[in-house]
Amino acid sequence: MGNTAANAPIRLLISQSLATIARERTVALLALLFLVLVVVAAYLGWSATSTVNAIYLRSVDYMTAQGQTIPSNPVLDTSPLALLRNMATYVSLIGALAAIVVGHQLIASDRKAGTMPLLATRPMRGIDLGIAKAVALVIAIAALVTFAAVINTATFLALPEFRLDGAGWSKLAVFYGMSGLYLLVFGFLGMWFGAAAKSETVGLLIPVTVWLTLTFVLPQITSNINPVAALNPVSALADAPASAFFQVTGWALGPFSLAEAYRVISAQLLDFMPPTYVDRVAIPAAASLLIAAAGVGAIATRAVARMDMTKGDYDA
Amino acid sequence: MNTYVVETRQLTKRYGDHAAVKNLSLSVERGEVFGFLGHNGAGKTTTIHMLTTLLKPTSGTALVCGKSVTDQSLEARRHIGYVPENVRLYDTMTARANLLFFARLSGVENPDRRIDETLDFLECRDLAPRLVGSFSKGLRQRIGLAQAILHRPDVLFLDEPTSGLDPMGIKTLRDLIVRLNREFGTTIFMNTHLISEISRTCTSIGVLNQGELVFRDTIEKVTERYGSESSLEELYLSVTPVQAKGAA
Ligand SMILES: Nc1ncnc2c1ncn2[C@@H]1O[C@H](COP(=O)(O)OP(=O)(O)OP(=O)(O)O)[C@@H](O)[C@H]1O
Ligand SMILES: [Mg+2]
Repeated sequence: MGNTAANAPIRLLISQSLATIARERTVALLALLFLVLVVVAAYLGWSATSTVNAIYLRSVDYMTAQGQTIPSNPVLDTSPLALLRNMATYVSLIGALAAIVVGHQLIASDRKAGTMPLLATRPMRGIDLGIAKAVALVIAIAALVTFAAVINTATFLALPEFRLDGAGWSKLAVFYGMSGLYLLVFGFLGMWFGAAAKSETVGLLIPVTVWLTLTFVLPQITSNINPVAALNPVSALADAPASAFFQVTGWALGPFSLAEAYRVISAQLLDFMPPTYVDRVAIPAAASLLIAAAGVGAIATRAVARMDMTKGDYDA
Repeated sequence: MNTYVVETRQLTKRYGDHAAVKNLSLSVERGEVFGFLGHNGAGKTTTIHMLTTLLKPTSGTALVCGKSVTDQSLEARRHIGYVPENVRLYDTMTARANLLFFARLSGVENPDRRIDETLDFLECRDLAPRLVGSFSKGLRQRIGLAQAILHRPDVLFLDEPTSGLDPMGIKTLRDLIVRLNREFGTTIFMNTHLISEISRTCTSIGVLNQGELVFRDTIEKVTERYGSESSLEELYLSVTPVQAKGAA
């Protein structure tokens, strides 16, 4: 490291990769959809709060005229961060899908272009290509999350009723970091199978199946959360039945249940954790995410480095 | 310094039980235009893949410009230019953008000037601003050749370079290969089916049959011994007995 000459091909591959996926229509479409949903989440939070606030203010006028005692503003009773709870759902649904497609396309775009043999006969190590693709993915996901963060921050600043204190802002920042980490897991999955699968379809299908399993199947086994409830940020945190079965599955499978881990983290950071929630998982949720992102990232990088570079294209 | 640009010893590639290339010991000298002949499935492409560091041999050794393609693959790659069969580039980028990317990856200094020189050499400067996706097969082959010689490699590997080209395209490509060899001294290693190509372009030939080298000599000696092009064809057929299965 630090050797600029040795790093030059990596930097070149990163910028080329980012430029190529930016031109991919599926990538652009999903990224756009995600960002639109972020705006919608922000708007819904803002509009619901404004409505409640407006009704409260009018009631205050009325009650003051009646000479009644004024109750506290319900808007101020909930944490402003909880406004963004829908974000957690959008990240784990459309955000994760967008991440899979980005990771997949980072490899598929070169495979479809038929340029792998031309890349692999250049004086660079196989692992350089893997590292370059991994870094490109991190940059792409960071861009997506940063954009979401900007939109949400603008929403907070537009709501004069809310003042986030220093702790609030840092919790928000950590939430985006965790969201990025969660998306990286799926991005790396897309990259891994984009490199390892023989066909483009299978390369997409496997990560999507993993995503479905993590989002809808595992939560049912570990915590008895049915697929519809898994979509709701709050009811997804319902307590598992206090049976021995769920005690064991929750403890043992919980660390792999990344969608749940992400929701728990989101609920803690965005202040919408139900007071009754009991954590039964063997390792902390944040550790699960960190280990998963690092682990899948390493496997994906290696898979790219070890790809069959003789093939110009996917098998016919 | 070693005069061999390509040197293999007992080079072998197996796919399961099937040996695609068997104990290939082959040397190509600096400055040669080497034509590698063989039926479909003879193992020509597999050999090029091993020589261009894309495929690990099962056993044996291969040196390109004295560098092992397995243990010194990065050094070997600095000497290699490669045009795969039906070469493709990034369709959504212009020819120049493609060439700039590959020139930089190869560590070419002053890449813009080198690209201009290369396109001038290939007589296709006008292609630079156009999208590669809009190119005919012949034009794509031309830019494919350009990307392979940007870094002025010692040896250029061409896999069936004339496949799919019309007679005019074939002639143009043949002239370019000969000029490249004469003007830059580039050693050419070319896979082909076409015997007519060999006699017009190559200075030496090797014939591969079912993964084994069955003939190797200079064109001079061959013509001395066998005379015309038609006898070259007879020679080829005599050393590659047609198998009932698979030989199309
Ligand atoms: N990835 C692979 N897995 C299994 N067998 C393979 C693989 N690649 C090549 N082969 C086999 O190895 C043999 C040699 O193939 P190769 O492509 O090198 O032949 P070739 O001489 O280039 O033929 P052609 O003239 O058709 O291009 C063939 O029998 C082929 O089926
Ligand atoms: Mg071939």
